[in-house]
Parts: sequence; structure tokens; C-alpha cells
Amino acid sequence: MISESVLFGRGFWGPIIATAAMLLIAAVGGLILLGGRRLTKAKPSAGKLKTYACGEELEASDIHADSEQFFSPIRRVFRPFYRYIRPAHSGDLSTYLFWVVVGLIIILISIALVIGVG
Amino acid sequence: MISHAPILAILLPLFAAFLMPVIGILSRRRGIKRAREWFAIAVVLAEFAVVASMLPAVWGGQVLVYQLGGWQPPWGVNLAIDGLNLLVALIVAGIGTLVMIYSFVYMERDTGLDQYYTLFLLIVAGMMGVALTGDIFNLYVFFEIMCISSYALVAFRRKWQSIEASIKYMIVSSLGTSFILLGIALLYGLVGSLNIADLAQKLGQVSPSAVIVPLALFVTGLGIKIAVVPLHMWMPDAYQAAPSAVAALFSGATATVGIYAMVRVVYTLFGAFAIGIMLAALGLVTMVIGALMALAQRDLKRLLAYSGISQVGYVLLGIGLGTVLGIQGGLFHLFNNAIYKTMLFMIAGAIIYRVGTSNMDQLGGLWKNMPVTATLFVVGALAISGVPPFNGFASKWMIYVAGIEAGQPVFTIIALITSALTLAYFLKALNSIFLGQRPKHLSDVKETPLPMMFPIMLLAVLCVVFGVLPQLGIDIVRPAQEAVMNSGGYISAVLGGA
Amino acid sequence: MDFNYVIAMLLVALGLYCLLLKRNLIKLIIGLVVLTDGIHLFLISLGYRSGGAAAIVSGEMFSDLPGFAAQAVDPIPQALVLTSIVINICILALALSLTIYAYRHYGTLDPSKLRRLKE
Repeated sequence: MISESVLFGRGFWGPIIATAAMLLIAAVGGLILLGGRRLTKAKPSAGKLKTYACGEELEASDIHADSEQFFSPIRRVFRPFYRYIRPAHSGDLSTYLFWVVVGLIIILISIALVIGVG
Repeated sequence: MISHAPILAILLPLFAAFLMPVIGILSRRRGIKRAREWFAIAVVLAEFAVVASMLPAVWGGQVLVYQLGGWQPPWGVNLAIDGLNLLVALIVAGIGTLVMIYSFVYMERDTGLDQYYTLFLLIVAGMMGVALTGDIFNLYVFFEIMCISSYALVAFRRKWQSIEASIKYMIVSSLGTSFILLGIALLYGLVGSLNIADLAQKLGQVSPSAVIVPLALFVTGLGIKIAVVPLHMWMPDAYQAAPSAVAALFSGATATVGIYAMVRVVYTLFGAFAIGIMLAALGLVTMVIGALMALAQRDLKRLLAYSGISQVGYVLLGIGLGTVLGIQGGLFHLFNNAIYKTMLFMIAGAIIYRVGTSNMDQLGGLWKNMPVTATLFVVGALAISGVPPFNGFASKWMIYVAGIEAGQPVFTIIALITSALTLAYFLKALNSIFLGQRPKHLSDVKETPLPMMFPIMLLAVLCVVFGVLPQLGIDIVRPAQEAVMNSGGYISAVLGGA
Repeated sequence: MDFNYVIAMLLVALGLYCLLLKRNLIKLIIGLVVLTDGIHLFLISLGYRSGGAAAIVSGEMFSDLPGFAAQAVDPIPQALVLTSIVINICILALALSLTIYAYRHYGTLDPSKLRRLKE
């Protein structure tokens, strides 16, 4: 028999209750959405459907968020890290092998420190 | 239990692999369509049944020891199966079956499928061998079978990117396996044995400083296979270039086998619970760098590869903490990771199958064409980011709590931040592929074909089931966790007959 | 006797040097082979005994097994090395065939030119 809620160490998580609550809230949200109604008649025209870009004419492909620009603010926060990480992923096999040997040395030293030499 | 089940689990795919070319020739002569595919699926299903038949005995607390040729350990090679071995074997057989069903349609446009299925079954045989053997050199041999077949499968389509990725993968990984061989040689010189249980017993009497070098060689060699930072650079290349079915198999099953070998060697063979803290630290670095690199990717498969690296970091963190909760959480996360990572790679494959590219800049708005696939992608993305009520949440939370209880709240905080980053890069992938403006040439893309959809759906259902009923998953991994903590039981069970 | 180990480790170091610093795929593969051969030499030296007998028991040797064991070499490292050599031949063959393909696609064997997959 599977208990309805699970204790993980110090925490408590009732997965079935939580899932039921999420579904319920989603249902309520859906009902609210259904309850809304449009007062004026929809009159779509080409100009209205177009994405507004300060009057500039844009192709559909230009509006699509480039994956490079997506989250560029977050990446700016982590820029100091990227400055060190990116050069290591140069695609050059020699770099990969260099890091393997560096990794071996790091692991060797840290094991020696943990276990203790002598 | 089927008699001789342990050896059958290894021999079945091995023999089937070498039968495959014959079946390919016969089916062409006789004009039987799809004989290879059906045969391969039958073999992996039988494999799954064989592994499942061992479940009751092992979950009952028994350690199955199968002596090859009737030689007593430590003289002969033996297969020893406790809870940990069986968990890994179950994952390998299950993922192998689903990926094989997926390949049925996904690989139909390729030529040379005889070789594909041969290599595929060889990988399954190699993984099963690593998972079940109780002999360290045997483990190395099966590891090499697995690795060599995977180099060939990465290069399967022989385009420039597959060749480049395969060469990088091969040279880095061969260096890793030679480290493992050197480690085995040093161990043999030290105590003169190759049986894992016997080695573990004898290494207890050796001075700890003597095992530093072999232990480091093993950790590095296996770390290359499971892509621990800074040994991970081959992995995104290989996963991006390999056919998606192969990438799904690698990320689900091969990574699991690598972590199994790491746990077995470090905790059982060396009994080095002390270096758990080093594994946890490596796991932290791995998860942060994996997530940061994933955030900068343009290719979906490459993003998934980096996210796989990041998830392995969580597993290592949980296992490295060394507490009951930590190891349980780590192994549960390993199990969950196999589920959703395989599923996400399969979805990437479905997109490639229908559109022909996985470059996120050339995709967009596919929600309208592939609504079911898009929903499944959302399920996978939420599960991997640890959003309730999916399975990733349950295992990640166990790892967070374990981190706090082990007195390492900093670890938990870093893991939480990484989880947020995970959600961030999956939102980016979701937005670039399924939402936003749809390029004109994608307007007549069709939904994923049903035979490909079936394994993805099954895995999605598992994601929800283990999220809503986490106790079920914990019951599956508990025997494995007990096996990790109880290496004395393993040793005495294997050597008991001697 | 100790000379073997020195040579073995020298071979391993040479192989690593070659892997790290050479800029040619064929040389990298040679480095890999030299490295594994160093490990093989190390492994075989573990079981070597100067003037020892082959570890095959036959005929009248059965009557004096302890005496035979005292002068036979250790057979296990030989079996391991044999297995490992076979594995490494597989890797070597696959690596060279991939190198041929790489040359066809890229027109060079310089691994630093094989970097269209990156970041």
C-alpha cells in the first residue's frame, strides 16, 4: 500500500494532495477564462495582426527570438563565468585531452588530500 | 527466476547481435520486410523479461552469485547481482527496449541497418555485462565492448559532424579506458586478485596511501564516461552528431552504467566512503557548468547533452553525500534522469525526423503542427527542471534535504540555483521550437508518427506516475541504496562459497 | 626486473606526451597505442619470473604441483594482456578508418582543424 504522503527526511510533501490542488486551480482558471466574453465584434485586419515594432516593417523570421538573444540578460549576469568556461569548449581535441590530464591531476590531489598521504 | 538468468541476460543480446547480419541476409533473400526490426525488438523484450525475473529474489534481500564454469570465486569469473546491479540492469533493459521500438520508424530512412542493430545489441550486451559482472577485468572488457560499439554508432551516418564527433569521443574515451586498465594493473600488482569482492576484502588490509593512484585512475576513467566536468567536452559533440535514437540510448542507459561503475568501484571495491565529499564537489561543478553551457546553446540536441551533464551532477551530489537519504535521492534521480532524458532526446529525434534540423534558430511555432509532441516536451522539460507534480521534483527534493541534513546547506543552495537555470534553458528551447512565429516552410510539418510517439508517451506517463506516487520510485531504489551501504553483505555473499 | 617497470612508465609518459602535444591524428593514435602498450608491459612484468616455466600443467608435472607452482610464471596477466591487445586492435582499426573518413571530409589530419562542432 502506498501512503498518500511521503516524508523525505525533514520535509513533508503530499504529492496527491498537491497534484489535486494544482488540477483544481487549473480548472478554476479555465472556468474563469471561459466565463469571460467579448463585448465588441472582432474585426481582424492585416495591420492589426502585425507585430508592432515602432512602425518598422519586419519579416516574420526577424520577430522570432534568436536563441543567442534569448536570456542574454541572464548570461550577462554570469559573464565572468563564461569568460573562463567558453574557451575550454573550443572543439579542439588537444584542449579536451589537456583537460582530461588536468582532471586526473585534480582528482589525484584531492583524493590524496582526503585519504591522507602516508 | 529463470535458471541461468544472470548469464542469459548477457548472452542473449550478444548472440542476437551476431545473428543480426544473417537475419538481414535471409530477410532480403526471402523478401520478408522488417525481419531485423521485429527480431531486435523481440530480443530486447526477452532481455527485459529475463532481468525482471530476477527481481523477486534480489528485492527479497538475496545476492545472486553465478559462477561461470563452476569455478569458485576468487578463482573464476562470477556474476554477482545485488539491488544496485539489478536497478541498473532494469534501466538498461527498459531503455533499450523503448529505444529499439523508437528506432523502428526513426531509422527507416537509413541504409546499413544490419550494422545498426548489430551495434545496438552489442551496446546492450556490453552495458548488461558491466551491470551484472562481479569481476573487475570482466567489467573492463564489457566496458570496452560498450565503448567501441558506441564510437561506431556515433559515426553511423558518416557525415562530417559524425566523423569529427566520433574521433574526439574515441580518443578521449580510449584514454579514459586505458586509465582504467592501468588502475586494474596496479590493483593486481598490489593484492593479486581481480574479483571485486575479494579485492575489496584484501584492500581493507593495505595501507590507504597505496590505493590513491589506482583510485584516482578509476575515478578519472569512469568520470570521462559519465562526463564529469572537466572531462565532459566530448559528450555534447557526440550527442549532437549521433542519430537521436543512439543519443537517447546513451543519455538514458550508458550514463547510468557509468555511474553504476563509479559507485561500485569507489564504494564497494575501495570502500572509500571518505572521498564522497570529493564526488559531491565534482557533482556541483558539473551541474553548474553544464547548466551554464546549456543556456548558451543553439542546437536542441547539444542543449540536451549539456543538460544531461548537469543532471549527472545532481546524481553525483546525492551519492557523494553518503547519507541514506542522499544515496536514495541520487539513485532515484538517476532512475528519473534515465526516463526524462531518453524521452527528451526522442522528442528531439521526432523533430529532426519531421523537420530535418534541430537548430533552434530555424524552428518555431511547431505547437500548431505537433500539439501532442509539444505537450510531451513540456512534461519532460518540467520534470527535468524539478517542477511538481513530476518525478524530477521528488528526487531533487530528496537531494536538497539530504544536503541540508548532511550539514552542507551551500550545496543545496547551488543545486537550487542550477534547477532554476534548468527551467530557464528549457523555457528557451520551448519558446524557440514550439512557440513564437512559424517560418513559412514549416507550415506543413506533420505530427510525430505513432510508433515513435508510443515510447515517448510511455516515458511521459512514467514521469507523472513517479511524480504523483514518489513512494513507488523510492521502493524501487531502496534495495539499491541498501546494497550501496552494505558492501560487507556483498563481499560475504560472493566469497561465502569459497 | 625493476627495469621493466621503468620502461613501462616511460612508455605511458611518452604516449601521454604524444597525445597532448602532437598535431596529427595518426600521431595521436600512435600515442594511444604506445600508452596502452606501456600498460601491457607493466601488466606482463607483474607476472614475469626470470627463467620461469610456462603455466601449463601436463604429464608428470601433476605429481609435483607445489614445485611447479614455485617456478611457473603467473598466467593471469598474460591472459589479461592478450584480451587487452585484442581490444586495442579493434580500437586501432576503427580509429584509422575514421581517420580516413576525416581526411575525406576535411582534407587535413590536423585535429585543431576538426573543430566545426564547438561550444
